[in-house]
This record gives sequence, structure tokens and C-alpha cells, in this order.
Amino acid sequence: MSLRLKARKYGVAALASMRNRTAYMGSLLGDALSYALFVFVFSRVWTAAYAGRDEIAGYGLQQMIWYFIVAEIPAFGFGRFFSTLAEDIKSGQVAYLTARPYGFVGYGYAQGMGKAAVDCAIYVALGLALGLVLAGPVPSGPPLRAAAVLASLAAAGSIQYLLQLALAMTAFWAEENSAFFWIYQKLKLIVGTLLPIEFLPEAARRIAAWTPFPSLSYAPARLFAAWPGDGAALALIGTQLAWASIAVLACQAIYALGRARLTVNGG
Amino acid sequence: MPAITVDQLTKTFRTKVRPEGLGSSLRSLIAPEYRSVEAVRGVSFEVDEGEVVAFLGPNGAGKSTTIKMLTGILRPGSGRASVLGLDPSRQRTALARSIGAVFGQRSQLWFHLPPADSFRLLGAVYEIEPRILALRKAELVERFGIADYMDVPVRKLSLGERVRCEIAASLLHEPRVLFLDEPTIGLDIVARREVRALLSEIASRDKATVFVTSHDVGDIERVCKRAIIIHHGIVVVDEPMKELRHRSLSRKFIGVKYAEPVDFDIPGLAPVKRTPTAASFVVDTERLRLEEVLRALVGLGELEDLTVEDESLEEIISRIYGSAPGDRP
Repeated sequence: MSLRLKARKYGVAALASMRNRTAYMGSLLGDALSYALFVFVFSRVWTAAYAGRDEIAGYGLQQMIWYFIVAEIPAFGFGRFFSTLAEDIKSGQVAYLTARPYGFVGYGYAQGMGKAAVDCAIYVALGLALGLVLAGPVPSGPPLRAAAVLASLAAAGSIQYLLQLALAMTAFWAEENSAFFWIYQKLKLIVGTLLPIEFLPEAARRIAAWTPFPSLSYAPARLFAAWPGDGAALALIGTQLAWASIAVLACQAIYALGRARLTVNGG
Repeated sequence: MPAITVDQLTKTFRTKVRPEGLGSSLRSLIAPEYRSVEAVRGVSFEVDEGEVVAFLGPNGAGKSTTIKMLTGILRPGSGRASVLGLDPSRQRTALARSIGAVFGQRSQLWFHLPPADSFRLLGAVYEIEPRILALRKAELVERFGIADYMDVPVRKLSLGERVRCEIAASLLHEPRVLFLDEPTIGLDIVARREVRALLSEIASRDKATVFVTSHDVGDIERVCKRAIIIHHGIVVVDEPMKELRHRSLSRKFIGVKYAEPVDFDIPGLAPVKRTPTAASFVVDTERLRLEEVLRALVGLGELEDLTVEDESLEEIISRIYGSAPGDRP
């Protein structure tokens, strides 16, 4: 079998998932409205927080609002895989996916990214429009920033999907695993989504640097709102890629161990 | 070489017991209790290439668990399974290229997309060249009469239309063995007839080995040449359909209706149902001669109607379920 045909299945899976996502425009618009509302509310919160101050932890108000707009794109676009994945594993439905000639992790990833690509395209367009209205002009940065942000968003989404899959796969052992996701969500929120990591106390920032959480929202948002320089940008994306690789290996290992424990409801 | 070989296959599920009451629930957090359920308890059989076999059994008999072990979805507890010379649990991906599977309770079609999209995706999954896929798809669409549904979202199709698309989709990669788990479940009579006709055609035209589990005796009567009956996780009958039907020859169902009330007092023959003027009997022809029974019934009074019927396949199978050994411990 040619490599082209092997790779094609993942591309077609992503495209089918994109088409599936656009089947209900109402659902897409509802999610877009939630995102817009969230951005609007927090832009007001930050405006109040910056009253009488030019900057906090190196970020000006305009940069902060843009940071939040970009940080929420992976949070909204890639943040909701866990429930479906965990439920499929608990009910045994995932077993049916294993009887086909594809890699389980890769195929699920392709489908997840297909769906998220549609969502993220809408959030990017909406985010830019909201940012121009609520924050003003886009913060300055080099021409290659757009490509770097898009690459960083893709890496952030990949890590988010893989971490959620890894957490969902704990259902092979734990009957109730939503607590793991709850902890993950809260850490993700504090470390880089609601606040840039520069806002954290020094000790917490040092610890956070050794976790994947800054790679989830902080990296693309920082690159967009406060370009850290070419070298630091490369380091941020490199760290994301390293975490993505670790997450892939973790998922493969958990799946290999967990598959033997698969039972299917109703036989 | 047999297409399917199953040797002493077992599967036991371990499920957590949830006792009643808050105290018991709290105790179960510290010391959880588990119950083992033996779904399959040493099943053995062989299926030759090109055979069309019915795998029957009541609910919870172990049919679906066996088919899931044969398709690589579940790992057996012990024993050996081989499909086309491959071990389903260890060589799952290689096997997946040569088998097709339709699970009546699990769709392989995307619910919000038209079947054409799912066909395209399945073609890619099985690594079929797009040009070959287009030809294969066109052939199946024509054979299965699904051209009108190919661009309609699956959610808008009737169950019968969906099942036809499901079966067509499972044949895209020309599987050598086709597993069908309850393919007619939930279908009305017309749709069932259509699906049975398609299965017969697959068997005769595609020369594929077909392994069907079903509750519906009509499915197997018209499509299959051999029946394997499983009950409480063990094989209780494995014989050609012809022989299974022959079991009916020793049992006759007789119905009689008289013009006036009669006394149904015939030595050795009690009616299974009766009114003052009518009755029905089940006659074991190895014990009683049919001719003598009929003569006795004719002699009881003025007959208005008399029917003699063979036992239906459904009744034969129900009887087998009822008398099967190996009840759960």
C-alpha cells in the first residue's frame, strides 16, 4: 500500500468531520455567540482592572484584550473533546472504531482537528473583528507573526486534543474520571487562558514552565499580543511541539494498555 | 482452509456490583464487589470459505460477544480464533482489510452526512484508489438500489434504507468474510425481505463467506445453508439447515373444528388448546402414528375443518433453546 493512500484516510476523515460540523449552522452560531459574549465581558473586566494603570506584568490594556481574544480561541475551539471521548470509552462504543485499518489515535485526532478547524476559523474571524472594536489596532509584530500564531494555534489544539484523549482513556480503568478533566480544565484556565503566565507569582511560573499548560493558550496568545522576539517565539513553538510529541506517545501507550480492558455493553 | 476457525473460545466480563442503599455504596468505594459473567464458555466451530452460516441464540447467549471476538473488537479470555488464517485480536488491522462487518446497533455511516460522504471516507480508510472506489461505488449503488439516497443525510433515511446503505458500505473493499450482527433488527416486514434478498445475492454473487447473527428465523431460513445455535455461551446445535428442518418431521401440529361439541378423549393425546367444538394437538409421530391420530379425530364427530402443519423453524429453535443444557451456574 502506498504511503499516499495511507495518509489520505486521515485527510478524508478530517474533511468529513469538517462537513459534519457545518451540518447545523445553528450550533456553530450559538458557539460563536458564546465566544463573543465571553470576550466582551472580559474586555470590560480588564478595562476596569487597568483603571489608572498603563500596564500589568508587561502587558498594556490593548495587549491584554488581544491576548484574551487569542487565548480563548484554542480554549473554545479545542476544549470540548473529553466528554464525548470518555463516554465512548465507558459505553464500549469506541471498540467499533478499533476494527478498522487505521491508527486509533491518529484517526481520532484527524476527526477532532477537522471539527475544530471549522470552529477556529470562525473564532479567528470573529476575534479579529471583536478585537478591532473592543481593543483597537492589532499589536505590532513582524510579518512572520501571522504564520507563527497559526502554527502555534495548531500545536495548541493538537496538545489539547491529545491530553483530553489521554484523560478520557483513564476510563479504561476508572469508572468515573470526570474529576481528572475538571482539574485539567481549572489548571488550563489559570495557567495561560484567563491570565498570561507573567501574572502568576514567580514560584508558580517556574512550576508552570515544566507543565504543558503554557503551551495550550499562552503560547499563541503571547505571540500575537506581545511578540517576544524571534528566538523566544521559536522556543515557545518548539516547546509546544515537544509537548505534542510527548502527548502522542502517552496516548499510544495508554491506548495499548487500555485496549485489553475494553468491554462492549450488550455483549 | 476454513475461513473461520474457533476453538474453545471463552470470554468472561467482570462487572462491578452496585448494592442498594447509601451504606453499601460507601462500603463499595473501599471494597468494591465484582461479579463475573461468562458470556462465552468454550465455543468451537469451523466455517468454510463461501459458506453462509447463521449464528443463532436468544438474548445473552453470547452471539454478539463471539462475533466481536472474531472481528477483533474484543479479546478472548481463552481459546483460539482464526479468521482467514489471522488471529483477530493480534492481527486486527491486517484482518480488517479482508473482512466487512455490519452491526445492526452501531452505524458506520455519519448521521448528519449523506451516505456518499461515508462511502468516500470508508474507501479512503480501506486505502482504495479513488478511481477504483468510484467504479465499486457505482456498482454497489446500482445493485442495492440506493441511488436516490446517496445525497440525503443519513438521519433523514428510513431504517430500511439506512441498512441497505450500511451493507453496501461494508462491501466497498470486497471483503472475503462478511459478519452481520442482527442486520434486520428493528426493520419492518418489507425492509426485512429486501435485506434478506440482498444477503442471498451477496452469498451467490460475491462468493463471500457470510456469518449472520440474528433473532429472526426468517433471515436464516431464506439465506443460510447452515445454523450454529448457541445458548448460555456454548454451541448446542451445529448442523445444515436441511437437517434442522428435518427435526420438524417428527412433530405435527393438528387443528380440528367440529359442527357440534365433542368429547376430546383420545388415549395418549391431550389437546394443547380446546373449546367445546375445536382443539389443537401437537403429535410426536415417533410415538403415535399420524394415520391413527387422524382416524381417531375423524371418528369424534362431524368435522368442519382439519389442518396438519409441520413445526415451524422458529418453534424448532425455541424448543432447542428450551431444552439446551448448560444453564448458568
